[in-house]
Amino acid sequence: MSCVRGLRCKECGRDYPIAAVYVCEFCFGPLEVQYNYEQAAQSMTRDAIAARPRNLWRYRELLPLDGEPTDGLQSGFTPFIRAHNLARELGVRDLYIKNDGVNFPTLSYKDRVVPVAIAKAKELGFDTVGCASTGNLANAVAAHGARAGLRRYIFIPTGLEAGKVMGTLVYQPTLVAVEGNYDDVNRLCSEITNKYHWAFVNVNMRPYYTEGAKTYGFEVGEQLGWRAPDNLVCPVAGGTILPKIWKSFHELERLGLIPSVRTRMFAAQAATCAPVVTAVHRGSDIIPPMKPAPLAESVDTSLRIGNPADGPYVVQAVRQSDGWAEMATNEEIIAAMQLLARTEGIWTETAGGTTLAVAKKLIEQGRIRRDETTVICITGNGLKTLEAVRERLGKPIPIAATLAAFEERVLGA
Amino acid sequence: MPTRKVLLKYPEHLIKEPVLFQMAKQFDVMPNIRRARVTETVGEIVAELEGAADNLAAGIRYLEERGVQVQPLEGDVVE
Ligand SMILES: Cc1ncc(COP(=O)(O)O)c(C=O)c1O
Ligand SMILES: [Zn+2]
Repeated sequence: MSCVRGLRCKECGRDYPIAAVYVCEFCFGPLEVQYNYEQAAQSMTRDAIAARPRNLWRYRELLPLDGEPTDGLQSGFTPFIRAHNLARELGVRDLYIKNDGVNFPTLSYKDRVVPVAIAKAKELGFDTVGCASTGNLANAVAAHGARAGLRRYIFIPTGLEAGKVMGTLVYQPTLVAVEGNYDDVNRLCSEITNKYHWAFVNVNMRPYYTEGAKTYGFEVGEQLGWRAPDNLVCPVAGGTILPKIWKSFHELERLGLIPSVRTRMFAAQAATCAPVVTAVHRGSDIIPPMKPAPLAESVDTSLRIGNPADGPYVVQAVRQSDGWAEMATNEEIIAAMQLLARTEGIWTETAGGTTLAVAKKLIEQGRIRRDETTVICITGNGLKTLEAVRERLGKPIPIAATLAAFEERVLGA
Repeated sequence: MPTRKVLLKYPEHLIKEPVLFQMAKQFDVMPNIRRARVTETVGEIVAELEGAADNLAAGIRYLEERGVQVQPLEGDVVE
């Protein structure tokens, strides 16, 4: 049933068998899963897919599992809506929101990558999983790992939003808050991975983990009526999801499920930490060394990664697709969160605010054309980042429980 | 001998400086370069550093003090 052929180095092309390895021994480049597409094409027809359960394993031929999936059976296949009100507000014709803010069970796109990593970790015989996280990944590893019955060591930087911290602790993993920013957490986790035989979902499970992000793009293709959009705007932190959406469209094309891909990929980051945007603007495919702005000055913490491991592949996808990258200020991020809530009834977290703010900017710049089809990637839920909007939303109108008070205080009669 | 796989990033003003060689000499660390790229504004070297544990740590600290960003590669994390 499995269409997996093995792993291949993204830099030098050397092949490796499936195992808990993630860097090429020769050039230290990252490894990526290879598939037998001819075999996948036989069972992945539009009709066959349509008859399958609505979860992320719907496209399982192109996911790196050998056996039957038992994790994340309720994850994925999130709502995809045509955003008429927002389109009117932004002055575009054909606008869509793919809403992973209601992914199950932890309300972010990480509910796609984690089940794949955990399923593979179990196949490879691990009993302990871990991660380095800016918050959403911590929630997902804690929850999916709990259900899978695995021991969990989760590492976050200090100072994350209460929603992300409590949304991890509630599943009772070992949660470690590391002094410093995400990049410091990353550094520590790399040392831990070298020493302990644990499956770190975004370290030694990374070739499998990242493949789970393709399901976001597969779903967009299917939900758009089996085609890829003209434009797609996507948030960037470590650089996993954007290149994998780009890859997913090409896989759908290769299987003959969608017409040829002409999508332009647009990357969104917060101005307080925008190494990938900076690289795109400089025309460089090397991500410049960069330290994020201090936490107190950063509204967006989900995307706060100064050393994005897959940053170069974001730049590559943006360039190949003739796309672009932009950044949003704290003010723009918060305004965009409120805009999405007001127009479409969707409450996204700061990463979603960043993405929408950047989409708006790209439309104003004329880089996204008003008559084309555009998808905005909403990848997280506003309930986790209450701190960002707390002072901005006003207060309820307090009244006594009488009709007179209602009419006087509320209707102003 | 312990080894460390690292990604070194050089800001513009260091691209023309033999920083890695100076580190290697001063701390008796052997760099084995696997990949390298340089643009106008930034340079990047992927290498394995081999040396006694103390020397490795001191050498990496030296690079950072000179302004080179040192990212661990084995155990390199994506999110
Ligand atoms: C809500 C949300 N969206 C998007 C991302 C982007 O992640 P990446 O670029 O690492 O795939 C993250 C990463 O933490 C996130 O939490
Ligand atoms: Zn290689």
